[in-house]
Amino acid sequence: MTSTAPSPTVPDRVDEPLGTVVLDGVSKWFGDQLAVDSLDLRVEPGEFLSLLGPSGCGKTTTLRMLAGFEHPDEGGIRISGNSVLGLPPYRRDVNTVFQAFALFPHLSVAENVGYGLVQKRVAKSEIRDRVVEALDLVQMRRFADRKPTMLSGGQQQRVALARAIINRPSVLLLDEPLGALDRQLREEMQVELKLLQSRLGMTFVFVTHDQEEALSMSDRVAVMREGRLEQLADAHTVYGEPASAYVAGFIGRQNFFEGTADAVGALVTAHGTVRGREAVPTGTTAKAAIRPEDVTVEAAASGPSGGEENAVHGRLAGVSHLGDTLQYLVELGDGFTLLCRRPRPGAPALEPGDAVRASWHASSVLLFHT
Amino acid sequence: MTSQITTPRPRQDASRTPPSRKRQGKWWLPKPLLALPAWAWLLIFFVAPVGQVLWFSFGYKPGIFGTHANDVLSFDRYAEALSPTFFLTFQNTLWVGIAGTLICLIIAFPVAYWMALKAPLSRRGLLIALVMVPYWANFLVRTIGWQVILAPEGWLSHLLQGLGLTNEPLEILYTRTAVLIGVVYNYLPLMILPLFVAFDRVELPLREASKDLGANRWSTLTQVTIPLAKPGIIVGCLLVFIPLMGDYITATVLGGARGNMIGQLVASQFQTAQNWALGSAMAVLLMLIILLTVAVAALIVWVASRPFAWRRRLVIGEDS
Ligand SMILES: Nc1ncnc2c1ncn2[C@@H]1O[C@H](COP(=O)(O)OP(=O)(O)OP(=O)(O)O)[C@@H](O)[C@H]1O
Ligand SMILES: [Mg+2]
Repeated sequence: MTSTAPSPTVPDRVDEPLGTVVLDGVSKWFGDQLAVDSLDLRVEPGEFLSLLGPSGCGKTTTLRMLAGFEHPDEGGIRISGNSVLGLPPYRRDVNTVFQAFALFPHLSVAENVGYGLVQKRVAKSEIRDRVVEALDLVQMRRFADRKPTMLSGGQQQRVALARAIINRPSVLLLDEPLGALDRQLREEMQVELKLLQSRLGMTFVFVTHDQEEALSMSDRVAVMREGRLEQLADAHTVYGEPASAYVAGFIGRQNFFEGTADAVGALVTAHGTVRGREAVPTGTTAKAAIRPEDVTVEAAASGPSGGEENAVHGRLAGVSHLGDTLQYLVELGDGFTLLCRRPRPGAPALEPGDAVRASWHASSVLLFHT
Repeated sequence: MTSQITTPRPRQDASRTPPSRKRQGKWWLPKPLLALPAWAWLLIFFVAPVGQVLWFSFGYKPGIFGTHANDVLSFDRYAEALSPTFFLTFQNTLWVGIAGTLICLIIAFPVAYWMALKAPLSRRGLLIALVMVPYWANFLVRTIGWQVILAPEGWLSHLLQGLGLTNEPLEILYTRTAVLIGVVYNYLPLMILPLFVAFDRVELPLREASKDLGANRWSTLTQVTIPLAKPGIIVGCLLVFIPLMGDYITATVLGGARGNMIGQLVASQFQTAQNWALGSAMAVLLMLIILLTVAVAALIVWVASRPFAWRRRLVIGEDS
């Protein structure tokens, strides 16, 4: 394990506004495993940034380095322009909402929320006022004098939130704070959390492995993979213009076709020819990605005709209801299944077993080099 | 298309009552009966012997060959027991009991804290085994081991003289200090283990949350770790203090005449003097003293912690 001193290239103080978070080539090893790999990231003040990625990609480790529970082996971290290298958690202007809430079982809800102010030796009357204010903010005033063990998961979540914001940190770190909640409560809390963030104007760094959650709440999403940053962009860009096949596959569902480019730059795959907006250099291999909602299905009028681009023929294996959309599974042979989603009104009435034709526009094809 | 309005079902039927408790479980036995083995154990091994001792203590020693008789009941044995020797021994016992418990706590606290919260997880089994190793040897043998070490001609004495730390042979065997060393050594694991379990149960995220909220190490220790470990600390102190007060082996082997403890007085009445009545009275007094000391200690700790508790308390109450 390497434990290098703070790198000399990182100055102690840079002129950056309150609430800016900068990670500068940050790496972290656990034994011989690289958990975070030269991560560069800049979070703007007041921004809602999500760290999104599969389990084990280093999201929590990144957050813990910001909070001060882990120390980077390489690189520098600045919060509000100050280097925090070597600074213990209790001296950082950040607070954390922990995944399992970590409420103190021996203290009441109010005492939990007031804990941070007690540490700052704030006068008791002021603590009281601010605790009430924070509890009102998360609608938990009624439960102020209860012990946290007597609360439901969602209520504990709110208390953890109130406790973390009472110190008015310039940056709030949240590690899958909604992970323990059921779906409905989760969606409610997503909205509340987002509202709270814009009201407080705090920088939020939000860890999740739920892409829908990340897309719906964040100003920008940082997609991570094996400790590295894959893409950093707003939800629209991450969804519409993923930087890699990995991001494309992680955000939403995708139909992937792999093949080799022909003379005109279209991709020849096992299931037909796919043409995108741009031509692929002849002879190179590439991956085409098409979102299920960009694919239309219809009953096949005739058998497959040779030379048709961006269309495949197959047999309908199943139709499932996803609420406001219908999802069609089209079997193309060799066990390859194409996904297609159509909005419920106007969705074609097809029965499993029907011969179908699925097609899409060249403009909806994303191409990635392999 | 027909427009159909569904009427909501009443959410709660006023006539509904919670199901009767009898029908809830499949146990047809009343719940207290489930504790029968525990009650039996308590009755046979605690209530009965203590009751017998109590009964004997109101009797007398009938003659040179009898051990006890209860045809005349009186408190005379208690008056007899409360002799100057008893008070002296009582003072000594209390001193050893309190000092021994405190020293055990002071030593065990950092050790258990380190074992539970700082030592690598993979070494834990080994550390617990090391704490338990002395227990593999017989209590008496362990104590005699200290007799050998602390003797004026023992190796510790020679070592200290050799190092020039003292000029005379070590003179602590058969003193209160020797007893204290013996009991701390003998009872330390009984303090370390409950403290270890208590600290182990204070989860890391709780201590991290504390630091995250601005508490330094000391504040985290006093405001999160110790309050949460409190039951374990109390158990450890009781587990050491109570048997220590009644211990007579350590005192017999290491204390000699100057390191006498009440346990020895009781034992000698039962074994040497064959006066079970007096021995029982002394045993009852010992139990009362232990209960009283624990109660007083609890009161002192409670009173001393009040100012802190009041300062921490934050009651919001209902909406105003
Ligand atoms: N304390 C630790 N000791 C050893 N390895 C660790 C430690 N913490 C994390 N790791 C490893 O570092 C990698 C990144 O872990 P991290 O907890 O940051 O993942 P994550 O993205 O938060 O995953 P999840 O979504 O499951 O919470 C993982 O492979 C993990 O095994
Ligand atoms: Mg994690």
